[in-house]
Amino acid sequence: MNDPVVEATDSAPGGDGPSPVSDAPLHPGALLQVRDVSKVYGSGHTAVTALDAATMSVEQGEFVALLGPSGSGKTTLISIIGGLLAATSGTVTVGDVDVTQLSKRDLTRFRAEQVGFVFQSANLVPFLTARENLLYVATLVKTPKKAAQQRADQLLEELGLADRAKNLPEQLSGGERQRVAIGRALMNDPDLVLVDEPTAALDTALGRQVVQLLRREIKDRGKTGIMVTHDLRMVEYTDRVFEILDGHLTHVEEPSALQH
Amino acid sequence: MGLAGAEIRRAKLRFGLLTGAVSLLVFLVLLLSTLSAALVGALVGALEGLRADGLVYADFARDNIAASRMAPDVLDAVAAVPGVGSYGAVGTFTTAAVIDGAQVDVQVFGFDQGAPGAPSGLVDGALPTGPGEAAVDGGGVAIGDVVTLDPAGTELTVVGLLRGAQFNAIPTMYVDSGTYADAFTGTNPGLPFVPINAVAFDVTEGSDPAQVASDITATVPGVTGYTRDEAVSLIPGIESISQSFGILVGLTFVIGIVVIGFFFLILTVQKLKPFTLLRAIGTSTGRLAATVAIQITLVVLIASAIAVGLTLLAVRGLNTGLPVSIEPSLIIGVVVSVWVFSLLAGLLSIRRIARIDPASAVGAR
Repeated sequence: MNDPVVEATDSAPGGDGPSPVSDAPLHPGALLQVRDVSKVYGSGHTAVTALDAATMSVEQGEFVALLGPSGSGKTTLISIIGGLLAATSGTVTVGDVDVTQLSKRDLTRFRAEQVGFVFQSANLVPFLTARENLLYVATLVKTPKKAAQQRADQLLEELGLADRAKNLPEQLSGGERQRVAIGRALMNDPDLVLVDEPTAALDTALGRQVVQLLRREIKDRGKTGIMVTHDLRMVEYTDRVFEILDGHLTHVEEPSALQH
Repeated sequence: MGLAGAEIRRAKLRFGLLTGAVSLLVFLVLLLSTLSAALVGALVGALEGLRADGLVYADFARDNIAASRMAPDVLDAVAAVPGVGSYGAVGTFTTAAVIDGAQVDVQVFGFDQGAPGAPSGLVDGALPTGPGEAAVDGGGVAIGDVVTLDPAGTELTVVGLLRGAQFNAIPTMYVDSGTYADAFTGTNPGLPFVPINAVAFDVTEGSDPAQVASDITATVPGVTGYTRDEAVSLIPGIESISQSFGILVGLTFVIGIVVIGFFFLILTVQKLKPFTLLRAIGTSTGRLAATVAIQITLVVLIASAIAVGLTLLAVRGLNTGLPVSIEPSLIIGVVVSVWVFSLLAGLLSIRRIARIDPASAVGAR
């Protein structure tokens, strides 16, 4: 969990003495660069700032955790990074792509081609089998059928789901469903994998298994992964930890010092 | 792998029930349309198929050929109107007849050989060319059968079979003018002459039948001229019958379309979670809309095939007393209409899909 990329520049607001957190400055050349991204819902007296000038960068091959209590803004941030939500201000670049400048149509293509999502709920298409859930996303980027089938079978094999390929989501356990979702997220060989509370519906042991698997798949493929979680036990599988509190994003230098 | 097909395969019962409901509605539309066409055809087929550009009735007949009575010299008066080419007398009356040992009502039409006023719709045999011959639509007769008119006792040998040539929805017999005169005087003895009900006329080349009909009305005393289509549409009761069936067919059609539209809207609302997921992972709104359109098309096509089968069975099995036949153009028209309007109803679903916010997949709203 050492950090070769990010250097602490100042302490978190309200911090006393040596702080385990710092603002997260940009690192030139990182795959993901988030610059001063804010998100404000509503306007005037009813305006609510969900994200306040968030800045971070994540290198290719890194797997980072985004921690924070419910309503802190972590889901908003991951949604803006993934092109699901428009920022009120600031920029997000993934590789050469400025996500905040894309049209709706281009955002749809961006999500299909460059982002793999693992959501906590509504994660699989219920009327498609495990294998079909993987094959479907390949059709979004027009992968040749045979190549898509080979990749889906390989992923299912790696995820230990080869014998569950023909099962519908309702016939799978929670852990198996999350593993299928991981396979789907990796199916189109995206640059970025965004994971939202992958262990929310799983017990601790199963949650650890899933996150370990997630880390292995992301690392083996050299992908960049961001995992939103409120489960401190899962941060040991990540390279770095960011924390959001009340919309303010900070880099956590010493995750072991975090207590919620 | 198509989303549309995959969902149908995994929800056979749901889509099967919908297909069943749609097929019954299409069946109702087809059957009502067929029966309507058969009834109207049986009532006015004789005039619809009459080989003539126009007809002339007595002006007191109030557009009804059966109520028209004219003396034969009206033929010369009509012939003198500019624009009238060939012409012929048409007579008709209702009488009893014995067919296959049973007494039934029949309509008898008499026409001049080689002149306007002959029937169309010959499906077998020939039109009558001599005394005692008849071409017949209805009554279950075959060529060579003999029909005896009551009370005149005139015997008619069936030489031709017609389709779509009935009048008043009863068996209709077409005979030459001489045979007609014999039958009429036998039924109505003591008349000084055999009245004619109508003058059928063709116009000369380049003349407008409507204008010629109008000129006949204006120049020949005591008569009214019509184009053939006018004469058909003005037959008393036809308009209200057509309108009544039209309302029935239209309502059934509209109900069917609304059912299809609401069903797919319900399906869409039930699938908002997976649709939101699909939008989030990069599926375009257009592709999801296409999924709904494909499912509507599949349901309508399969339902239509079932409905056509049911209609064919019903047409064969129902004993309506009418010469019912199902027209391919009707089937195509109904199926295409149901399909097009179902897709339009599917816009309700597509509108809902277009409003899906992919960010809600992660609860970011």
